Amino acid sequence: MITRRQAFLGTGGVAVALAAVSAAALTLGAAPLTLSEVVSVLLGREAPELAATVVLGLRLPRILLAAVAGAGLTVAGVAFQALTRNPLADPAVLGVASGAAFGAVVGQLAGLEGSLLAAFGLSAVAFAGALVAAAAVYLIAAVGGRLPIQTLLLAGVITGLFFSAAITLIISLVDLARLGGILHWLMGSLGTLGYRPVGVMALGCAVGTGAVYAQARALNLLALGEESALQLGVEAERVKRVIFVAASLLTGVVVAHTGPIGFVGLIVPHAVRLAVGSDNRLLIPVAAGAGATFLVFADTLARVAVRPAELPVGVITAFCGAPFFVYLLRTRFRRGLA
Amino acid sequence: MSGRRVAVPARPTRVVSLAPSLTEIVYALGAGERLVGVTEYCDYPKEATAKPKVGGIYTPNFEAILTLRPDLALATTEGNREEHVRGLAALGIPVYVVRPVDFATVLQSIERVGRLLGRQGEAAALAGSMRQEAEAIARAVEGVRRPRVLYVLWGNPLIVPGRDTLITDLIRRAGGESVTRDEPLAYPRFSVEEAMARQPERIVLAQHGEASVDERLREWQHLRLLPAVRQGRIHPIDGNLMHRPGPRILEGLRTLARLLHPEVPW
Repeated sequence: MITRRQAFLGTGGVAVALAAVSAAALTLGAAPLTLSEVVSVLLGREAPELAATVVLGLRLPRILLAAVAGAGLTVAGVAFQALTRNPLADPAVLGVASGAAFGAVVGQLAGLEGSLLAAFGLSAVAFAGALVAAAAVYLIAAVGGRLPIQTLLLAGVITGLFFSAAITLIISLVDLARLGGILHWLMGSLGTLGYRPVGVMALGCAVGTGAVYAQARALNLLALGEESALQLGVEAERVKRVIFVAASLLTGVVVAHTGPIGFVGLIVPHAVRLAVGSDNRLLIPVAAGAGATFLVFADTLARVAVRPAELPVGVITAFCGAPFFVYLLRTRFRRGLA
Repeated sequence: MSGRRVAVPARPTRVVSLAPSLTEIVYALGAGERLVGVTEYCDYPKEATAKPKVGGIYTPNFEAILTLRPDLALATTEGNREEHVRGLAALGIPVYVVRPVDFATVLQSIERVGRLLGRQGEAAALAGSMRQEAEAIARAVEGVRRPRVLYVLWGNPLIVPGRDTLITDLIRRAGGESVTRDEPLAYPRFSVEEAMARQPERIVLAQHGEASVDERLREWQHLRLLPAVRQGRIHPIDGNLMHRPGPRILEGLRTLARLLHPEVPW
């Protein structure tokens, strides 16, 4: 059971962390802006034009994009983990992110770029790709309505490899000149201009997160096993379908605008579970905030580590995520999973 | 991205170049001092390497560019990404985009950059002399048999120039015929078998940077069946002279013509 104190500390703590990391991110970058210039811009006071353009035109939309993407990927991870009752599930491991990436690559080549309508269209095709991949994993792995861990992971790997190959097929048939953009996108990037992609992504993530959060209690009961959940009045099949679609939506809208970024949906939920436990009613909001914080942190590092060049943000998430995951595997899961 | 209308200041004084070819054009027009930022790949002329860097061609850093307060950015469809052009424009920087896809359009982009920088006279003179010398080369190779040329942009995987590329045009002007001139993609990944089947009489290997020439020549020595290999007609060429649509492509054209036609009294 969650006490009020826990809920307050969890959500409050993560909000403070997100604000602190975002504030630091606003002051860091290739342009040499002073702290007071950044503050002036944010408060709407008079500031040099360069500071205004850099802060409002480049850094702020990018931080927002990172925050929304981090939250979306993390909630997608929580949802897939609850759906499959498997702590190793996340959009990347299950191949769903590859499906979304495939959809987005097709969309980009079809010219979905630039306008607001195109941003929605790109999200839609990526969502469709994610849904197809998730459905494939589910159908391959399901044995009599259950999803055994080994078959689920194998199905995810196979689906992921298949869609990666499909992307490779496309890019090997496309002109080199059009390839540059797609290759950079495939490495994962939060570089953004203006607030349009953030807006579209935030809308999709709000719908997806809302749908997952609405099932938080049902997911708690499902964790006890489907039979017990049924006895407690949970329509297991309907809940699963909702979660399935919502998690695919979250993966699709995020991947459409950032490219595939690994590890966020895998490690953040685990770290948060260590802190606040696995009651989904608290886990979902706290994990969303923590995911946002983590990706803003990782992207800021990617922006400034080798400036004026930039690293793909996925490099940072993997360098942070892989060691942490190994630690979890060696300490926590050995007993739980084996 | 080209064909947009851009409002450009009458006489821009703080120019950012987003491609090595554009940096070379600006210097050739005697306006190098007006460049306030160049890419990490802008290595010619030597002075350009001392300019502040704004990132790569595919990966310009917008903050670095804004910090330089440019009143004009120069970009090219051959290398820069459309989203970056749109992005810079959205940030209030006028971006002029050139589209040099063959020899004639390279001259055109030199003239256009000249007009932007108020250097019409220099640009007309430069383009005029390039045009003249290209015509002289065309006359020299007229009536001479045109060898079949395989141009290797990259060896493994094999990447070749296709239809509508500057390289294919330069090969034709140098008195050769590219065996991949009809490929619909600009720079397709190509099958080595298919390249062999087209029996190239000359193989031209583009050199990128410091990579060993010998090593790459050796790789091709295995393909004894090819007339070009049997006759030892594999020629390395400095890629920067062939791939950068700027003033130095004339040097590339001249070098290529001499490689393809040693029998012509140059």
